[in-house]
Amino acid sequence: MAAPRHHHLALAVAVALLVVTAAAADEGGPRGRRVLVLVDDLAVRSSHSAFFASLQGRGLDLDFRLADDPKLSLHRYGQYLYDGLVLFAPSTPRFGGSVDQNSILEFIDAGHDMILAADSSASDLIRGIATECGVDFDESRVYGWCQDPEAMVIDHINYAATDAEGDHTLIAGDDLIQSDVILGSKKIEAPVLFRGIGHAVNPSNSLVLKVLSASPSAYSANPKSKLASPPSLTGSAISLVSVMQARNNARVLISGSLDLFSNRFLKSGVQKAGSKIRHEKAGNEQFVTETSKWVFHERGHLKAVNVKHNKVGETNEPGMYRINDDLEYSVEIYEWSGTSWKPYVADDVQVQFYMMSPYVLKTLSTDKKGVFSTSFKVPDVYGVFQFKVEYQRLGYTGLSLSKQIPVRPYRHNEYERFITSAYPYYAASFSTMGAFFIFSFVYLYHK
Amino acid sequence: MPRATSDAKLLIQSLGKAYAATPTNLKIIDLYVVFAVATALIQVVYMGIVGSFPFNSFLSGVLSCIGTAVLAVCLRIQVNKDNKEFKDLPPERAFADFVLCNLVLHLVIMNFLG
Repeated sequence: MAAPRHHHLALAVAVALLVVTAAAADEGGPRGRRVLVLVDDLAVRSSHSAFFASLQGRGLDLDFRLADDPKLSLHRYGQYLYDGLVLFAPSTPRFGGSVDQNSILEFIDAGHDMILAADSSASDLIRGIATECGVDFDESRVYGWCQDPEAMVIDHINYAATDAEGDHTLIAGDDLIQSDVILGSKKIEAPVLFRGIGHAVNPSNSLVLKVLSASPSAYSANPKSKLASPPSLTGSAISLVSVMQARNNARVLISGSLDLFSNRFLKSGVQKAGSKIRHEKAGNEQFVTETSKWVFHERGHLKAVNVKHNKVGETNEPGMYRINDDLEYSVEIYEWSGTSWKPYVADDVQVQFYMMSPYVLKTLSTDKKGVFSTSFKVPDVYGVFQFKVEYQRLGYTGLSLSKQIPVRPYRHNEYERFITSAYPYYAASFSTMGAFFIFSFVYLYHK
Repeated sequence: MPRATSDAKLLIQSLGKAYAATPTNLKIIDLYVVFAVATALIQVVYMGIVGSFPFNSFLSGVLSCIGTAVLAVCLRIQVNKDNKEFKDLPPERAFADFVLCNLVLHLVIMNFLG
């Protein structure tokens, strides 16, 4: 009799779980909470526990796996098992199970988010994934004659003072992107510690942003060998941490340093070489917390709802407008704050009244409660138009709304009649008619 | 230039004499054409002063005059005894054509007048 009882218990637990998941879904965040963490050594789980704890503290459900776990799988029965991926396995040559580079990229193409951290031992697999995301790690080790086993970012001016005796690969970076969306509204005062590999951002890729750039005095080389030729990556062209937001709003963070997320860097103090100010705590904790919030869509995710338009003075939405109608357009835009949808406030949202090209382009005014509205006159052109909102701002998910609406010309009976200035023309037309009648009469009966 | 003036006078006199010999029915048609063209000119001048709105009314007003004039000229060509081209066409038939065309013209004009 024990077996059926267990069965019931399992069922009850499953139902309870379902209820909990449903409740979480009702809360309405833009992204699910299941995150797969791939590590190449389970020691990372404890050496980076502070970062993982901050993720878990924000409600993310982390699943730790070894990168070469043979049972590894991102999806089952056509459904993705995870909503995000943390790839802390820089040196893994290949993933276990059914996961490979393509399946990771498909995962991102399906609109999921990823944090990827590499270090100087980054494998070709990790480099390949980064390249597909528009980020090229320094490949100087590949160029045969140089035989650099491991290039790192070196900076002899902006290193952390604790690294004074060393080879200046522990960098105190403070060249952060100016974006409250990505880095949070609170300024990161302390420099961010970084030890690892540099990368260049593909200039033809407009979706990638450098979040943490190296200083102009940095270069990328192997600190252990003599520099025989000029380094391929130098100065602020080197990016230390980059983010990419794809067109499907999938977000990817790529860091050249796995240590950046480690407990040691999160907890350690920092003093930049040549600077008097000693910070009790490096900027790393704030940096990784804020950027991971951004990556997992806890900030900077916009949604637009309730697109409405109507004629001025009416409330219901017509199926068609007439040329020269006055209309009102409104849309509600909210931003996900991590816990709830908050009204989005901005003065640069624009609507286009569009047919092949925008005939009307108006900036929407907001009531600070999320409603953006404007009114304008339909142009004197008929055809099939669209209301378009194309809103792409740094750090925010892109909004792309369009709603089709036909515009018709005046109906035959909508034109003005008996215009005073046209009376001479009426008179002329009728007088020629009269003249025709009289002429016919005279012509037929004259002798 | 007394000579040129007298030449012009002679020309007009001979033209008037020749025209006096024109049959009465053609004279009636000429008068009708002059009336139509004058009405058209007045409307064009009026449009120049007032502006082209409403343009459809202007077009129908002017085109009714021009159309009338053209149809009248056609009638004049067909009923002229001196014109050998239409000697087989009876004048009654020509007038019937004229009336029919006028009806169509004025129907269009009324529609377009606005």
